[in-house]
This record gives sequence, structure tokens and C-alpha cells, in this order.
Amino acid sequence: MAYFKDAQEVYDTIGKLFVDLADDDELGPKFRKADTIVKYEFRDPDSEITVRLQPDQPGDVDFGTSEIEPDVVMSMDADTAHKFWLGEVNVTVAMARGQIKARGPVAKILKLVPMTKPVFPRYKKQLEEQGRTELIDA
Amino acid sequence: MEGFKPFYTFTSPTRVIAGQELIGSAGFELTKEGASRVLVVTDSVIRDTGLVDRVAEGVTDGGLELAGSFDEVPQDSDTEVVESCATAAKEAGADSFLAVGGGSVIDTAKAANIIFTHGGTVREWEGFLTLPRENEGIGRPLRLAPLGAIPTTAGTGSEASFAAVVKDSSEHIKVEVADLPLFPDLAILDPAATETLPAPIAAATGMDALTHAIEGYVSSEWNQHADAFALQAIRLIRDNLPRAVADTSDTEARGNMLIAANLAIAPTGSGAIGITHSMSHPCGGHYGVAHGVANAINLPWVIEFNAEGGEDIADRYRTIAELYGIDAPGDREQVGKALSDHVRGLTAELGLPQRLSEVGVPEAGIPALVEGAMGDGCTLVNPREPTEEDFAELYGRAL
Repeated sequence: MAYFKDAQEVYDTIGKLFVDLADDDELGPKFRKADTIVKYEFRDPDSEITVRLQPDQPGDVDFGTSEIEPDVVMSMDADTAHKFWLGEVNVTVAMARGQIKARGPVAKILKLVPMTKPVFPRYKKQLEEQGRTELIDA
Repeated sequence: MEGFKPFYTFTSPTRVIAGQELIGSAGFELTKEGASRVLVVTDSVIRDTGLVDRVAEGVTDGGLELAGSFDEVPQDSDTEVVESCATAAKEAGADSFLAVGGGSVIDTAKAANIIFTHGGTVREWEGFLTLPRENEGIGRPLRLAPLGAIPTTAGTGSEASFAAVVKDSSEHIKVEVADLPLFPDLAILDPAATETLPAPIAAATGMDALTHAIEGYVSSEWNQHADAFALQAIRLIRDNLPRAVADTSDTEARGNMLIAANLAIAPTGSGAIGITHSMSHPCGGHYGVAHGVANAINLPWVIEFNAEGGEDIADRYRTIAELYGIDAPGDREQVGKALSDHVRGLTAELGLPQRLSEVGVPEAGIPALVEGAMGDGCTLVNPREPTEEDFAELYGRAL
């Protein structure tokens, strides 16, 4: 059974993480160096998050259909995304297995992967604060 | 880096035929892949050697129709050429492709096949696992038109890889499409196809193959299947590359180098590669350094860096050193140094440049190169995780 019951739960958890990262004084500018716009297409439940990662631009994070045109589209189950942000998914393996598909200039996103490590404990802490500890142990 | 891995995948679906006097049976072999009317894709240099005429004869002798020949592929192909090639195939009524050339030609044919089969543009298919699939996108990938390849260099392994890389000249970037249907259906490895290959290119492309094999073997994505391919590739390169470069008429050496390059690409299909490639890609992008030359220069520095990263990594390099008959006892630093010195000796023997500064890379260019290397997909699967500072130091050493 999927971890999230509907799109709103995805936005309240993974989406909130993205919003907080965009506002983070230290990590926000680092991620924006990617100079791209990423749309995450999640399945089960169907949901979309579009993130603007461009230097000197606002760190827009749109939930659902967005008017921002993405450069890169990453498609995966919402469960895979959740596990990734808990630090439990090897991106290379997930891509090799087809659990993550990427359309567009993938290198722009791949270079962010090493920077995501400090975010893993942060996501876990966020879930604890939200009272969603069952998602951590799932 | 031993034991039973929690997961790996290995795919090597390209049918390979290797041997002598196979050019004449190109049509006979491609028929088996479902081809009936073939567009030959090549470049003007290969065309002028007369090889394409022999291939064309082989196509028709095998009972296939020759739809035509597209010989406009440049040394570093781009999206416009790919789209012209796809158009040429449609206008000629082709139902299949036969690429005759080096990596640029083969990648052009592979990318053109996507547009020929599914429409769109190269940029629309850019990415990883982007091609259409059955069952609402999660089932078996839809087949492309039959595609065969006759490599005329022994290095890139594109005749057996699942990726195609071309430039987008308008945006000055490389565009990569990687998906399973891009594995060619057929690779014909005949040393007659490399008989006009100049020694410097044989040397550089051979070092590209050696880099694939070594990086594949030590990558974090190593696996037992890929190991088998990588180690045999290293043995063949050890025994044949210097011969193939010293005497370009050495048919046996050139034939074995074709096989070595074909074996060496296999680990990359599992994602096994490393930061020699990460460093070399931006050298090509910014300064036009030939890929094999950049790999030859960067590889020894990366070996030293990686070997210091852990005993398990050093053990892998020790195995390679043993294949070369290098006495490499002692700690990991000594293993890295012994193997890297051997590689430097090999590249010197082959007459290749030893320093990035010899091939036009300035010290002032290092920051941009570092940024490119950090963002390269190959960095993720290197056995030792490099920082920006590490890359800057590695480029500084290689300069």
C-alpha cells in the first residue's frame, strides 16, 4: 500500500521539504546553482511538484499543475521519492531499475545528488515534528 | 567491493559477429534483424576510403535493398544532423540503419532512429529511459527500426551501448538519450573496417576503451557480469593496443582491439564508470580535447586518487596491476602509484600527450572544468566521492 493516501499528503510532506529548502539561507542558493526548473511527476498518488532552481530567481515551488515550464521532468512513485529523501534510495540503482525516469538535461539534476545528504536527517526531523513517524518506519 | 550485491542489472543485447571478411556479409546479417531496405550512415572520411562502397555491396549481396547513403555526419555530430539523417531515411523509404564509422556516426544513427521511429526532436527525447513503452509507459519498450553498426575505431563501444550523445550546436551543450532500445541490434567487428585508422587515433580511442574497462571495474556499480567483460577487455588491450598502434597493418591486433572496445563498454550499461570520464567530458566541451586523449591524460591521476580512498578500491586496482604483471605490494597508495605510473608509461609509448596543458587547457579554465565534472553523471558512481576541491586538485595535477 502506498505511504501517502492522496496528493495533499505528498505536498504536506515532500512538498513542505522543498518549500523549506527554497527558503533556507545556506542550502537554497546551493541548489539554485543548478540553474534549471524541475518537475517531479509522482505516481500513486498522482501529484506534481515544480521547483525553480535558478540563481537570482525566487525559489518557486508549485504544487499540482504549474505554469512554469520545466527543463527536467523526474518521474517516480511518490513512495520512491519519500524513501529518497529519507536517504534510503541509491539514485543510480533506482535509475537503472527504471524506478526513476528522467527527461531532459539530467546532468543538471544529478549534480545536486551529493548535496542532498544533509537534507535526509532534516526530512526525518520534519516528519517527526509533523507527527508522521509512521512514514519514517514504513 | 566483493560479495553478493543487493542489486545489479546487466544488459548486453547487441548481437556481435567478429572476424575477418565480414563486411561483405553485412546484408546477410542485417536481414536476420528484420531489415529489408537500409540507409547507410557514415561520414565523408570513411566514404572516401572506399569502405562504404564495400559495405553497400555487402548489403545488396545479402539480398537487401540499399535505400541510400547519408554521409554528412561531422566529427562531433549534432541534433540538426541527426534530424537530417532521420529525414533522409524517411525520404529514401528506408526501414533500417547501418552505421559505418566511429562513435559520432554510430550515435547519429542511433538518435536518428528514434526520430525516424517515434518522431519528435532529439531534445524531446533527451534523458534517461524516455522512450515509449507498452502498458502505459511501464512495460516493454517499443522497438526501434533495425540498426546495425560497423565500428571503424576501437574505442567508444557505441556499437554496443544504450546511449547516444550529440551536440546541440545552438545551445552549445551535449544532449544524451539513454534507453534500452538504443542498443544496436547488430555489431560487426571486422578489422578491415579499421585498416585506414591512423596510429594517433588508434592510440587515443584505445585508451578510451581501457578507461571504460578500468573505470567499469572499480566503479561503485561494479558487478560480476561487468567484471568478466572488463577484465577480459583489459587483457586484450594489454596484449594488442601497443601492437595496433605500432603497426597499423597488424590485423590480429586491430581485430582484438575492436573486441576489447566492445567488451569494455559493457560495464557502462550497468552504470559502471567513473570520474576520469567526468573530468574528460568538460575538457572536450570547453577546449575540444579529443575524448580518448583527455581520458589518457586524466586516468592515471584518478587511479591514484581513487586507490587512496579505501582498501577495497585499492584491491580492485591491485587485480588490474596483476594483469599487467606489475609488482604492486604494499599499501593502497603504492598500488595506485604503481598502476598509474604504468598507464603513464603506456600513453607515452603510444605517443599521446601527457598533460592537459599540451592540448590547450589553460590553468584559468579549471573552475569551469570542475563545475562540469561535478555535474557529470559519471561522478555519482565513482568509488570515491570527490569534492570540488578534489577535482580542482586533480585538474591541477593533470595540467
